[in-house]
Amino acid sequence: MNNQPIDTSIYSTISEAIQTEAARVLSAGEVTAIVGYAAGRRKGSAQPIIITDHDDAKKLIFTPACVNNLAVYLTKAKKEIPKTGKVGIVAKGCDLKALVGLMGESQLKHEDLYLIGIPCVGVLASTVQPATELTTETIASKCCECDAHLPTGCDFVPDVALPPPPQLEGKYPAEIARLEALAPAERWAYWKEQFAKCIKCYACRQVCPFCFCEQCLCDRNRPQMVETTPRPAGNTAWHIVRAMHLAGRCAGCAECERVCPMDIPLNLLNRKMAKELKELFDYEAGFEVNDRGPLTTYTEKDDQSFIK
Amino acid sequence: MKKYISQQNLNTLLDNLIAEGRRVVAPRMSAGIPLYEPLTSSTEMVTGLLPRRSAKEAFFPVCEELMSYEKEGQQVKLTDVDPARFPETVLVGVRPCDAVAIPVLDAVFSWDYKDEFFLERRRKTTIIGLACTTADDACFCTAVGLSPTETRGSDLFLTPLVGGGYAFESCSAKGEQLITNHKELFTGQTKAKTLPLAAPQTEKIDVKKVKGWLDEHFEDPLWDGVAVRCVGCGACAFVCPACHCFDIVDEGTEKAGKRRKSWDACGFWKFTHHASGHNPRDLQPKRYRNRIMHKFKYYNDKFGQTLCTGCGRCVRICPVGIDIKAIIDTIMNSEC
Repeated sequence: MNNQPIDTSIYSTISEAIQTEAARVLSAGEVTAIVGYAAGRRKGSAQPIIITDHDDAKKLIFTPACVNNLAVYLTKAKKEIPKTGKVGIVAKGCDLKALVGLMGESQLKHEDLYLIGIPCVGVLASTVQPATELTTETIASKCCECDAHLPTGCDFVPDVALPPPPQLEGKYPAEIARLEALAPAERWAYWKEQFAKCIKCYACRQVCPFCFCEQCLCDRNRPQMVETTPRPAGNTAWHIVRAMHLAGRCAGCAECERVCPMDIPLNLLNRKMAKELKELFDYEAGFEVNDRGPLTTYTEKDDQSFIK
Repeated sequence: MKKYISQQNLNTLLDNLIAEGRRVVAPRMSAGIPLYEPLTSSTEMVTGLLPRRSAKEAFFPVCEELMSYEKEGQQVKLTDVDPARFPETVLVGVRPCDAVAIPVLDAVFSWDYKDEFFLERRRKTTIIGLACTTADDACFCTAVGLSPTETRGSDLFLTPLVGGGYAFESCSAKGEQLITNHKELFTGQTKAKTLPLAAPQTEKIDVKKVKGWLDEHFEDPLWDGVAVRCVGCGACAFVCPACHCFDIVDEGTEKAGKRRKSWDACGFWKFTHHASGHNPRDLQPKRYRNRIMHKFKYYNDKFGQTLCTGCGRCVRICPVGIDIKAIIDTIMNSEC
């Protein structure tokens, strides 16, 4: 398909609505802080911001550069955010799925949050400069498969008419099919080459809303569970451990893949797990809180064919 | 007239060096990204892209073995890695912002303890720098007093010319030696113009003023403001040409294993986690503060140099958009 611009004209209305609502709930004392996005120094860039003063509400924006899943700031991994009361958070549909997942895992309660849902047509891929126009070629891969353009169940959603989202072909199903079709040795060679690039910076873990363990097993050294040095064996173990730990939990925000400085296609692992979960347990991450995750419950209907 | 080497002669030089058994390291595509890696042929070199990781890994690898151990009964056998076995290397196509970091690292790796792993690789490596013709708005080499034609750190320096090929200049005895050894390839002369060079447009950093502020503001609300959103990964330190902290761990079984050194980062929670359980940098702003302090104060205090070359890698890759240049600008513009 030719490169087509994507209409993001609703984003300026959304930015104004977020500012007004954030100022209102902060002034009224309904929340003590808002986690949102603000502009950065580089042209077009955006970064997470935590505001506590209603005068700062005017800093809040929503643009195609608002890529982060801010849910990570509400997990217990982030001890710096004072939990002094109800916190407002700006959430795209994909981010909301993570918040809902965290509610299902008893990490968050909706009554402690003020959810500002964002009608979203997409955000930029990590491979382009922040000032780039959003087009069918510059859009993030995850947005091509988005089924969550309009969040539901939020406390506030800017009143805008969401234009019909562009119909795009996602790269993940085709790439998963390609890898599934490879002989095991070829598939192994592919992942070996990808994991060889890993430098164990743990950006994937640190941005993941579901990586909220207060001490990651992979940081342990008494005893060492996984080699901590960035070498093929430990790198492979690390990424497999993480993929398995996220199976049935990952909400598909693709933050791990976005932030990887070595461009390891980590979301492929998560999408593959999601596909398995869909086939085996008819489970998908969504907007409904589900406190009985597919891998934490047992039913007699569960597939047992793997027991040989 | 400029001294000139054609692209073809440069390729011949690299291929001859590879044929002689030298390790030739240059930017090449590796599983989809540019990295400084050993070449098998000169045609693999890519010059238009800034490698994702800096050139420091030619001397200070992501991970390296320091020694190995084996235990049989009561006997323990230790085997050292012999740095004499490190190969003679030519590191080529190095951006000025990467090359200039290498002499900065010399200071710390040859300070109270002489790191023979770093220094032996350093001794055996000739660095061919390449003037920079591409910049984006994360680049700020010019703000820290450097430039796209900075030759410090390079033994031989190439400047791309209109119509192809490079002007070359020797910057050290190693550079002279390389030319002498391959003099038939370095005979050209040209009047061709230099390709337009990268020109990062950004506010200059007054290193003295920044250090002066840091001297007085170990405790400051700035740290909470900029670093509360830091998620505590090591990406900034790992892509940095000047960050040099490392960890040493023994990995293996009770029977056999290896002692390994690998990159570490002050952003990690466990970086300062004591065996007692106490962590003096218990919150992320304290860890991020260390990053700025180390780059613009502690290294200056100790070695009189700044630990930032303005390559912009950390600005580009920070998962949460933390921008070291924006932070330094804030410090520069602060009243007190």
